[in-house]
Amino acid sequence: MSDEQNHNVSRRQFLTYTLTGVGGFMAAGIILPMARFAIDPVLQAESEGDMKAVTDVSELTDTPQRFDFSYEQEDAWNTSEVTETAFIYQSGEEIVALSNTCTHLGCKVSWGSSSDHPNQFYCPCHGGRYEKDGTNIEGTPPTEPLHKYQVEVREGTVYVGKAEPQV
Amino acid sequence: MRWSTEDIPSFVKERQYVDTVLLPLLPVEFGDGIRQSAAMTEFITVMTAELEKQFRGRILLAPSYTYLAADEESRPSSEELNKWIESMKKEKLKHIILLTADSSWKKAEHDLDAFLIWMPLVPLENLEASYKKQVISEQIKQLLPVIMDIWKKEGNS
Ligand code: FES
Repeated sequence: MSDEQNHNVSRRQFLTYTLTGVGGFMAAGIILPMARFAIDPVLQAESEGDMKAVTDVSELTDTPQRFDFSYEQEDAWNTSEVTETAFIYQSGEEIVALSNTCTHLGCKVSWGSSSDHPNQFYCPCHGGRYEKDGTNIEGTPPTEPLHKYQVEVREGTVYVGKAEPQV
Repeated sequence: MRWSTEDIPSFVKERQYVDTVLLPLLPVEFGDGIRQSAAMTEFITVMTAELEKQFRGRILLAPSYTYLAADEESRPSSEELNKWIESMKKEKLKHIILLTADSSWKKAEHDLDAFLIWMPLVPLENLEASYKKQVISEQIKQLLPVIMDIWKKEGNS
């Protein structure tokens, strides 16, 4: 008698089992797409290297010019469009793209904006200065060179990646 | 630098370099002027955020000073605002820049111990995103030299 009781699945147990089963399926259905979303950007970033098109090579000269480019950035609450600026010029065969963020405290530098130093980058906040190749000038507040973007040229278009420290 | 837990520690650490406060002045109205109030808030908030990005190493963007909009005849009271300014100056923040789209402050300008920049409101609500950006960057381009001039005139830290 007791044996039979144990083997018989009561109505309630049956329901519980089936519901768990269905629930299990549903959970799987939900988790899978999430995993895909979570993985995809990583794969993309690797294959594309997250390079952003900035300008045509033909636009470049040997004087640093400013180019803006935008991309989406996500933080905890929202996605926002971020605009960055790079100073780009041709130096022989090489294309140099420097960040416009002062390495001192983060103000935006520009090329040749100080009339006393027309061939340098100048920071209006505390007078930080940099050579054309981004090297910080001693005696001014910055202690490291302007960060440098990874650069790639594909079919006449200049792409930049992440800005990295030069030291 | 922004008024955030991320930026304030560097403000505290680099105080000698951060000698300027940017304070947005935002009129609040719940009646007929509510649209105008929202438009000004949006516009000034975008402008100050952009200025902060340009000058973040020297400027502290303070939380906005909000007040009930003054009606036609009266003007906003400068008394309370001067208290804010005073407490900033006490902390050696020597350049105080007030940015507003509310023209009624122009009448009170001389009572304020700070530099007032009034900008006519550019309504951003119906602009296309790319055009909006262009408008903002045009405005910013005009503001940058104004701020650098304040530093020059009032002297460096
Ligand atoms: S932030 Fe550029 S010199 Fe200080």
